[in-house]
Amino acid sequence: MKQWNSRKTMYCFFVLSIIFLAVVTVIGYFSYDKAMVVDFSRKNLPPSFSYPFGTDWMGRDMFARTMTGISMSIMLGVLAAAVSSVIAFSLGIIGASMGKAADGFVSGLIDLVMGIPHILLLVLISFALGKGFKGVVTGIAITHWTSLARLIRGEVLQLKESQYIKIAEKLGHGKLKTAVKHMTPHLLPQVLVGFVLLFPHAILHEAGITFLGFGLPPEQPAVGIILSEGMKYLTMGSWWLALFPGLLLTIVVVLFHLVGDILGRLIDPGRIHQ
Amino acid sequence: MTKQRINIILMMVMIILLISGCKDENTETPDFSSEIRDSVVVVMGVTSEPEAGFDPAYGWGAGEHVHEPLIQSTLTVTGKDLSIGYDLATSMEVSDDGLNWVVKVRDDVSFTDGEKLTAEDVAFTYNTLKSTSSVNDFTMLDRAEAADGTTVVFHMNRPYSIWPYTMATVGIVPEHSYGPNYGENPVGSGRYVLKQWDRGQQVILEANSNYYGEAPNIKKVTILFMEEDGALAAIRAGQADLAYTAAPYANMNIPGYELLSFQTVDNRGFNLPAIPSGSVSADGVPVGNDFTCDVKVRRAINMGINREEMIENVLNGYGSPAYSVCDKMPWYEPSSKAEYNQSGANALLDEAGWLKGADGIREKDGKRAELLLLYPASDSVRQALAADTVNQLKKLGIDGQIQGVGWDTAYDSAQSNPLVWGWGAHTPMEFYNIYHTMKDTGLAAYSPYANVRVDRYMDEALAEKDMGKSNELWRKAQWDGETGITHEGDIPWVWLVNIDHLYWSREDLNVAEQKIHPHGHGWSIVNNVDQWGWE
Repeated sequence: MKQWNSRKTMYCFFVLSIIFLAVVTVIGYFSYDKAMVVDFSRKNLPPSFSYPFGTDWMGRDMFARTMTGISMSIMLGVLAAAVSSVIAFSLGIIGASMGKAADGFVSGLIDLVMGIPHILLLVLISFALGKGFKGVVTGIAITHWTSLARLIRGEVLQLKESQYIKIAEKLGHGKLKTAVKHMTPHLLPQVLVGFVLLFPHAILHEAGITFLGFGLPPEQPAVGIILSEGMKYLTMGSWWLALFPGLLLTIVVVLFHLVGDILGRLIDPGRIHQ
Repeated sequence: MTKQRINIILMMVMIILLISGCKDENTETPDFSSEIRDSVVVVMGVTSEPEAGFDPAYGWGAGEHVHEPLIQSTLTVTGKDLSIGYDLATSMEVSDDGLNWVVKVRDDVSFTDGEKLTAEDVAFTYNTLKSTSSVNDFTMLDRAEAADGTTVVFHMNRPYSIWPYTMATVGIVPEHSYGPNYGENPVGSGRYVLKQWDRGQQVILEANSNYYGEAPNIKKVTILFMEEDGALAAIRAGQADLAYTAAPYANMNIPGYELLSFQTVDNRGFNLPAIPSGSVSADGVPVGNDFTCDVKVRRAINMGINREEMIENVLNGYGSPAYSVCDKMPWYEPSSKAEYNQSGANALLDEAGWLKGADGIREKDGKRAELLLLYPASDSVRQALAADTVNQLKKLGIDGQIQGVGWDTAYDSAQSNPLVWGWGAHTPMEFYNIYHTMKDTGLAAYSPYANVRVDRYMDEALAEKDMGKSNELWRKAQWDGETGITHEGDIPWVWLVNIDHLYWSREDLNVAEQKIHPHGHGWSIVNNVDQWGWE
């Protein structure tokens, strides 16, 4: 039997985190109907066995609401991160391999989007699309690709100088074929890690935009809405309305960050012996 | 290792010192009780701060939320029973055709800059408001004219018997110093003078020493603008004498303060589009709703709502059931009241052909009884009212959903779906605005509805010279024995509750007798601040 090492600990941690996030997502997904139930006979209850996160001033089960909110955030994060990665990957490759004009255009676009404060751009896009789910998803999806695109562009620029790419060119491969056939396998790990590391951003920004009231209508169970509502009742002593959802949001974001980090280390050939 | 430990211990000591240091500072709360007792500090919501300043043309006193302008005088005033009294006016007369109002003005009144207030100033004010005001409807006024120094004549475009109610909200501004900056530096002849205005924070009013009426008891009024939780914190810290609050906070016990609860006509209700869907307005907005266009459905919804339970659930008991937009007003028709009757509501729905399906939801011709109830996303009370309504409708077999909307889309959406509104004003004009049809569409403005007889009563009420008789006609517009907008009539709006206005007040502060508060939980409380006193 092989020796236990920190690499294996990381594997375990990785798997456990994924399971935790998946369980939260699934529980939340199936408690949407429960999260929408308003029952005034049970309003303002502190956490108890039947309502682990308590209830709010309209008698809504905060556990169901928080789980649904987090699961919505995660699913939204998947969607937004996927779209962002695709945009980043294509723009990165186009920028670095299609000549000077294309590179200038892509770099300019990256600078342009990066130059506007994230949350402001999000609010603008979401508002222009009439808020709602569509506005939030589109807003997050098309604002988060910039740093990953810049990373991939740098990587491609470096690859272009390597011998095997130059040989491919000399053998008459077109630019696009070289990019897809010879560069993509090299870039995939970067994209994958980038994809996972986009999650925490996407989730936090979703929470932020719904907190500010530019996202979903307030009856929907989104984390930002739950937090902004909970804040109003802190002075009344209803601490559970903000604490548990806030805590869960933090845990989920930290876990996603760790998953991305671990994934990066596990597939990095340079660290195989750590 | 030991070095690290010492560091940690040092850090902890520092943190403890820091925390205890903060505590010492906090215990020194300012002691307001030692001041001479002729001033008050009042906390209002942040939306109560007049954005455009204290200019009647831009909504001060006379906009969506009506209150006495304090800094300026008005021609008339409304009394505690909403009857009309005189402030600047000494008499008023209307011609037989209702097109000329002759108002005599006191001649012993000066503005706070020393200039005399004349009929020219009054005429100037009304003509200015007619041409510039964006928040008030002055289409009924043709022009105002000063016949001599103390007589103003209002030439009307159409008879408008409730003109005295309009005159009760319009503060008179001086012709000689009115300009673009008037809102920030208002000059008036009212009980108070604007001393200081720190935008986003506070307004300080001081008593007008040359006031022509009874000198104000309270010499200095400081008004702070805060969110609900901030207002509560200010009260707990003893930094305010009176602060607005909301039902969720009302069950707290704050030493030295008592909870004041005032009855209001600040109502909440929702519209039910009274025509079938299919048509669109001139702007392309869909109009009508296939479920609520049936009067039996509307009646069933109206009688299927247990308002007492809703008040207990949503308002913690601080409210009264609403049956019209003008409960407790002199023009309220008492037969508007509808008793809660769940079985009656069910029977009505059965009669209308909406029969319960397998899942408990009613169906008719393959269509489910669904209702999308909208509410303004920024208002948590309306959200809770909407949610409770949906819960109650479920017992009738109606599948309701709620959805928060912004005011940018709410007006359009309300043409085809019910929306939770808030109304309540000290003039019957509001009733007119809600139920009377518009010329160009033939439908009422906020929710599609039309009834020729109701329209006619309202037109007659506006043309009637005698106030008592005009109130009689306003009542007939609600229910004349055969038709109207009450439960037995067309019921195009369902009224839910009147929200009590709640305030924390120092136990020894006496806020005098309040008029029934209108819509808007703000300046109404200080309508009579000059009569307040300390015990």
